[in-house]
Amino acid sequence: MARYVVYRVGMAVPLFLGAALLIFVAGHLAPGDPVQTVLGDHYTPAAGAVLRHQLGLDRPLPVQFARYLGDLARLNLGTSYVNPGLRVADLVGHALPISLRLAGLAVALAAVVGVLLGVGAATARRTILDSLIQVGVVLGLSLPSFVTAAVLVYLFALRWPLLPVAGWGAPANYVLPVAVLAISPVAFIARIARASVGQALLEDYVRTARSKGLRASRVLFRHVLRNAALPVVTTIGLAFGNAIVGAFVVEVVFNIPGIARVAINAILQRDYTVLQATVLVYTALFSLVNLMVDVSYAYLNPRIRY
Amino acid sequence: MFLRVVAVGAMLLVAAVAAGPAPGPANGQAPAMFRTPLNGEPPTLDPYFAVDSASAPIVFLMYNTLVSLDSTGRLLPQGAKSWDVSPNGLIYTFHLRDDMYFHSGRKVTAADWKWSFERMGSPALRSTVGSVVVAGIQGYDAYQNGASGIAGITAPNPTTLQITLNPARRGGFLNRLAYYAAVVVDKDAVQRGGNGWFATQDAGSGPFVFKEWAHNDHLTLASFPRYYAGAPRIAGVSVPIVTESQTQLSEYLANQLDFIQVPLGDYQRISADPTLGKQLLTYPRAQVLFLGLNPRVYTAFKDARVRRAFAMAIDKVKISKTVFFGFFTPANSIVPPGIPGFYTGYKGLPYDPAGARKLLDEAGVSGKLPTLSIAMNPFTPVSQMMAEPVAAMLKQNLGVDVQLQKTEFSNFIANENKRTVYQSFMTGWSADYLDYSDYLDFLLYSTSPLNRQSYESADFDKLVDQANAAPNDAQRIAIYHKAEALAVTDAPMVPILFSQFAYLKKPYVQGLQTTPAVNGWLPFSGVRIVK
Repeated sequence: MARYVVYRVGMAVPLFLGAALLIFVAGHLAPGDPVQTVLGDHYTPAAGAVLRHQLGLDRPLPVQFARYLGDLARLNLGTSYVNPGLRVADLVGHALPISLRLAGLAVALAAVVGVLLGVGAATARRTILDSLIQVGVVLGLSLPSFVTAAVLVYLFALRWPLLPVAGWGAPANYVLPVAVLAISPVAFIARIARASVGQALLEDYVRTARSKGLRASRVLFRHVLRNAALPVVTTIGLAFGNAIVGAFVVEVVFNIPGIARVAINAILQRDYTVLQATVLVYTALFSLVNLMVDVSYAYLNPRIRY
Repeated sequence: MFLRVVAVGAMLLVAAVAAGPAPGPANGQAPAMFRTPLNGEPPTLDPYFAVDSASAPIVFLMYNTLVSLDSTGRLLPQGAKSWDVSPNGLIYTFHLRDDMYFHSGRKVTAADWKWSFERMGSPALRSTVGSVVVAGIQGYDAYQNGASGIAGITAPNPTTLQITLNPARRGGFLNRLAYYAAVVVDKDAVQRGGNGWFATQDAGSGPFVFKEWAHNDHLTLASFPRYYAGAPRIAGVSVPIVTESQTQLSEYLANQLDFIQVPLGDYQRISADPTLGKQLLTYPRAQVLFLGLNPRVYTAFKDARVRRAFAMAIDKVKISKTVFFGFFTPANSIVPPGIPGFYTGYKGLPYDPAGARKLLDEAGVSGKLPTLSIAMNPFTPVSQMMAEPVAAMLKQNLGVDVQLQKTEFSNFIANENKRTVYQSFMTGWSADYLDYSDYLDFLLYSTSPLNRQSYESADFDKLVDQANAAPNDAQRIAIYHKAEALAVTDAPMVPILFSQFAYLKKPYVQGLQTTPAVNGWLPFSGVRIVK
């Protein structure tokens, strides 16, 4: 297992290099120019040339990339092009924990609620409860987050002013964004859990357990859930990715100073250094989540060995 | 095992909530803070570079200019108590306040103004503010070529600042001094702070002091007790960075903000609302929205008759009424109302489809014009709202097919600057400082970097030069009117609408003063919160 983890972490290095190269090339090939974006209507060729030189953007692309990699190797993410007084590491260091907390909460909530709903639906198959949960699942999967966000803000912040509309800092600020981020993963997890538990309930060992005279709850918890867990854990891993991507909408709508807002600003302003850093952060997050899911398989199912 | 997954999830949930809030402002600020949002993260807070819509308002609150503007656009003394002008109009002697202090507690003196203006015009710094404010001062050109300072600025004693102007470029000097970025800065703070000195402090003497800047989240300014006009009557200004206008509106409705700009799409609903309608403030903005025609890419525009025909085929009144519900008004001239010397009564080019078609016939291009593409500035939805009816009118009145080109801001501005990409572009221009030169010199003078229409008219340039050398304002404005009429008839750009500001202000906010320039308000030094 330890060897496998080391191997996977080692594989992350070429992955990072590839991601860094891709985003560097894509950023520079995209139309638009950070210098002119920063100077806006006050751009003049002379002022532009000075800023371009200061930022090192007048050097050949391979030189810029080599310098970038060199800085990266020394864990120096550089400073923002748009706001040269700002270190990218500080920007990311401030924004990332916010997004992680948001995504972590959303996934935790989705795991709890989704599993409960899925198991409920599977054990109550073809009842009203099952149908209601199924309808909820379809709604949760089909409603885009900007719609659910607007509806929840209208209901719980404006119609009944129980929660703040937007902002960040107080515990109450978490409720609506986490709820919005969790809706789609809840539906997703519930669906997979229902199918997977439903499948396990039909297995021979369940019949055997029942015929041994075990209580229904014991059959469920001891035999069914354990065997139904693998696909659900995979889904929870995917839900984390979902929550990270969903933050692009949620952080803007709820005005949360997380990494997605940083990334959006960087894309719009062609702030290359910040953009590259955010892409690397996303690459790291997704690699880590995949690794954790893979490792958890071995923990959940002793037959799996790496 | 399944239970374990659920239990771990539940524990994570509890742990994350118990971990408590991340650093940031608490909701529900202290009552005496005035809360108004910014639309984006400011790229800088160095006043000589803070000329974008996110940085300018913050700098505006922390710094002082030599002269300022009141809400009608009239010049007022600020750093200077008064001034004398020599009979030839070239030497300005400013008598400075001796009760103005930097936020460090040090008194502002004439030497500080001299140092600030020289920093602003420094060839090493290359601030565009310098080229607006101090370029007309005697000795500016020598300073660009290596002289140690601007010879035309002297400080004979701590409360006297004397400025001698270059006769050829004297125009609008006081209006330029009232540019919100033409401020005095504290040399000690700038030099001590090094690169990026503005990230953790300010160097101003204005009513509010820099307190905190949480990037992408909020800025906080505290009131300055030693402000020369008296300490502000609010504890400070709390400025969350809220990029979505709809979120701003929701926060206002939920009493999390006191003062916001109204999204245009919500204007009608808000003005009809019995409660919100009373909180709505509308007033003219010194902004012209126009269609720029680029002869370098759409060669038919090389002929002024073709450009004029396009201008005459656009029904501005109809666009104003049907698309902007009369809130934005038709623009007959380039320079909007609110700018001193506004060309009252000028009719501009008429809406005359038959006359327009005749002009195309005369130019020999009737029925032969290729499809025109109009690039739209994506900064606000307004450009698209104007471009759509314009496209229909050009098709209907001139038979020209029009394609609308949508792109994002970074790309738009880069292509606009290249001048070889867009055939035409729908955009706007708002006043940095309230003066004719802010429009005609910048947008249409042949060598101006902002002349994105590539307009080249020797007659127009000559008139602008004459205006800048005019001995007094009356003559200057008269010459500018001639230049403006020439540009309107020549039609390198088609002015379409003048815009207005629409703000929502809570009833408990009193003493807020508005202006047609910048963001639409004057520094909140007189604002009170009366709950």
